[in-house]
Amino acid sequence: MSLFLAQVLKVVVIFAGLVSAAGVSTLAERKVSAWIQLRLGPNRVGPFGVLQPLADGIKFFFKEEFIPQGATRWLFLLAPMLAAIPAMMTVAVIPFTGVIATVDGTPIYGSIADIDIGAIYVMAISGLGVYGIILGGWASNSKYSLLGGLRASAQMISYELSMILVILSIVAMSGTMNLREITDQQNANSLLGFLPAWNVFYQPLGFVLFVICTFAETNRHPFDFAECESELVGGFHTEYSSMKFALFFIGEYCAMIVMSCLTTTLFLGGAAVPFWAEAPWFVGLAAFVVKAAFFMFLFIWVRWSLPRFRYDQLMALGWKVFLPLALANVFVTGLVLSL
Amino acid sequence: MTKITVDGRELEADPKKPLIAACHEHGVDVPHYCYHAGLTPVGSCRMCQVEVEEGGRPARVAAACRTPVSEGMVVNTAGERAHAARRECLEFLLKNHPLDCPICDKAGECKLQDYSYAEGQAEGHSAEPRRKLEKRKDLGDVIVLDQERCILCSRCVRFFEEVTGQAQLCIAGRGAHSWVDSYGGRPLHGNYQGNIADLCPVGALTLKQFRFQARVWNLRKRASTCGECSRGCAISVEVLRQGEVKRIRPRYDADVNRWWMCDHGRFAFEGATLEGRLAGARARGYAGLEDVPVDDAVATVRDAYATHAKHVFVASPWLTVEEGAALAALARGLGAELLLVSPPESALKDDLLHTGDPGPNRRGLTELGCAARDAAGCREALAGAETATLVGERVVDLVGREELAALPAQVRLFVLDTKPFEAPAVRVALGVPDWVERSGHWVNVDGHRGPIAAARPAPAGVRPTLQLLGELGAAAAAEGGAR
Amino acid sequence: MVIVKRKELTLAERLYLPEILRGLSITLRKMFVKRATRQYPEEPLVTTEVTRGQPRLAVNTDGTVRCVSCGMCEAACPAYAITIDGHETERPIEREPERFEIDMLRCILCGFCEEACPKEAIWMSDELELADYTRGALVYDLEKLKRPVSALQPRIDYIKKINDRWRTSSSTS
Repeated sequence: MSLFLAQVLKVVVIFAGLVSAAGVSTLAERKVSAWIQLRLGPNRVGPFGVLQPLADGIKFFFKEEFIPQGATRWLFLLAPMLAAIPAMMTVAVIPFTGVIATVDGTPIYGSIADIDIGAIYVMAISGLGVYGIILGGWASNSKYSLLGGLRASAQMISYELSMILVILSIVAMSGTMNLREITDQQNANSLLGFLPAWNVFYQPLGFVLFVICTFAETNRHPFDFAECESELVGGFHTEYSSMKFALFFIGEYCAMIVMSCLTTTLFLGGAAVPFWAEAPWFVGLAAFVVKAAFFMFLFIWVRWSLPRFRYDQLMALGWKVFLPLALANVFVTGLVLSL
Repeated sequence: MTKITVDGRELEADPKKPLIAACHEHGVDVPHYCYHAGLTPVGSCRMCQVEVEEGGRPARVAAACRTPVSEGMVVNTAGERAHAARRECLEFLLKNHPLDCPICDKAGECKLQDYSYAEGQAEGHSAEPRRKLEKRKDLGDVIVLDQERCILCSRCVRFFEEVTGQAQLCIAGRGAHSWVDSYGGRPLHGNYQGNIADLCPVGALTLKQFRFQARVWNLRKRASTCGECSRGCAISVEVLRQGEVKRIRPRYDADVNRWWMCDHGRFAFEGATLEGRLAGARARGYAGLEDVPVDDAVATVRDAYATHAKHVFVASPWLTVEEGAALAALARGLGAELLLVSPPESALKDDLLHTGDPGPNRRGLTELGCAARDAAGCREALAGAETATLVGERVVDLVGREELAALPAQVRLFVLDTKPFEAPAVRVALGVPDWVERSGHWVNVDGHRGPIAAARPAPAGVRPTLQLLGELGAAAAAEGGAR
Repeated sequence: MVIVKRKELTLAERLYLPEILRGLSITLRKMFVKRATRQYPEEPLVTTEVTRGQPRLAVNTDGTVRCVSCGMCEAACPAYAITIDGHETERPIEREPERFEIDMLRCILCGFCEEACPKEAIWMSDELELADYTRGALVYDLEKLKRPVSALQPRIDYIKKINDRWRTSSSTS
């Protein structure tokens, strides 16, 4: 019974945490962009503007619900959900911390679901998110939206491939697809005695490829071709308004958070605290949040620093650079492991 | 004709006229204040000084208004010595002239401004204080005199002496202490006082009615013809911001009025206001006269023309020749009696301009077949008619407002006037444009065609008289035709 | 025709990542630079006598307007924002505006009216804020335009200084 309660509690806490983190991220996005541009950012709602996401949310609720003429109504309505739900579902397998407690000899882990195919689950579910964008773009009955949706799908294929190959290298190294076990392995020993045994040090090329691929995977700058304001008005969400638009928005930020968490898990040892293998679970959680927050900051930082790529450059980069590099990475990993 | 050379051009000059007239007639600008083609030259302002070479003697500087032309005379209006002489005179003229151009009504059409600008004479050398004189001297009902601004050109004095033949103003005092005043300080009288405000080259004489009313460059000016008597003086109607007429001034017309006009015509614009106008149409309904669309009102009149037999048309003498022709055609088509209401003779009749007949186009309309009747004659004709149509501004007043109101309701009265008129007999009242809102021609007492021009738009909803007459006439044409 | 040879890129540039890191470091550094934002309603705009705000009419200390409705500003106004009607007064200066309207929606704050004014009556004030709920309310009439001379004094002194400099440099002919 208490096991079930603990599970429910974890679901509620993690899910609520994810959504509120998405809210905070929107504020962070605006704040960081302002700081980079020597501005102050939102500072009218609440102290330092901390209640801005709330105000935005209320505003979204009161915006006009608009469905374009000629739109495929039910797909148009379904698309934002399809965009948001997979992003939120992926979070289920992320091990936010180590064992929280042991009930009747069963350890309660820091993830909602401690499943053995965690890595595959993440890739499978997060890959679904693109359907929301494609459907939204197609159902809007607008040329800009359609182009945005098409671009998102092509981009997703190009970059998911490299991403999976990088994960494959990690899996090959760890010998498991369970994300908790991958974390534990990074926590267990140290590299050369002074570095934590994080995969980032074993797989530096893989790390770089993976981080760049997450940008493409989440349609973030400099790869945000699905939106691409300068060419496509608003891309796939041109015709969306009110809470439907807000769902796309939440989905995008959830996907960013999940990708940050995944990068942390795979490369930065998840909840591992360097040289403190026996750290209590809440310290581990704090360490995880700090690491993930860095990647969130990176997402925002890059967006407000770099110009958007050209679309052909994006495809060339994906197929001609990243794929060969990722393949080489797998090959080298295998070679080293077999030796 | 005498041959002279002005600025290198050979001209034919009238030996009876002074040199300045020859220059002006040939488009050579010679500055002047006291000279006026309609007045005796006196040569008091010295602004018209030009270099004259005559009889082989070396060039001298002479006042062009007092120099007769002689054969072979060589004139240089732009010589350096002429300019220097003019500049000096200008400086003396400006010596006592207050620089109150921002307040002065003449600013913008002031010769003192123009020539100061042209001669570059901006600053004087005198440190003496300016003369203090009366700035607001009341000269009767029409004119206010500002003695400080006066440059003593004596045009106004000469106007009364020479044109009206009755001297009323004089230059009082002597030398540098002279000023313009009326005899005994009495107010001016007569019907031609306003002309001295036009004559004054500076802002010393101003019209009371125009004082501080508008800046002259804001006035839209249209060449038109005066409608206050059958003389038909050529005038310029000046309108401020498409609204009220602010001023009427005479235009030069050698055959009619030369440079002058009477005060009666000059201030006639006060009657041509936009206030109290009948805009659109009113037709009799169950509750008396009601506002109706103009098309409906026109249709009502056409129906009445079609269903009744005995028609009478009464034209106002303010109708233009064009409107008169349309009305005559309409009356002919209906077999109607066409009358012209003839206003009684005015007491203003004089030998100079005013003819005593207040109708400006009586001759033109009579020639078109209107039978002129006095008010009583018109009323008599109306009383026996089935439909009666009064056309033109002031027609109701001329036929008699009270008498028309007493007309029995059996007479179907249609009124096309500028002002509203309510009476039991009135079936339809249509607003028409005033004479400053229409274009056309009047024929004056001597048969001279004078143009009238629309100086401002008519009030919204008012159709041109010509258009209304055409629409009424279309019914008459349709009688025998399509219907 | 000129053939421009494209610059050969070094390996570091071709890799692109070092350049990205350089860009990121620039933006990171900018996050700690002093903010350029001015918190407008709380921090009012800094105005000086050079500020060319909305035109205002100077009112003498005895309560009379300096304007004599000469129409110079009306004529100078390139946006046709000014409408003036004058009437007669009993004062030695015989004329004053009966109606003086500036359509602030038309006004382009060019300062031609100030320059044209022969009576030192119209001045570009330091007032810049312009907001209302109707267009009609932004057609300012005489009462809305009146300002005591003291409020406009810095601008008056400044313009006089400028004009004096201009006058002494060109001698009278």
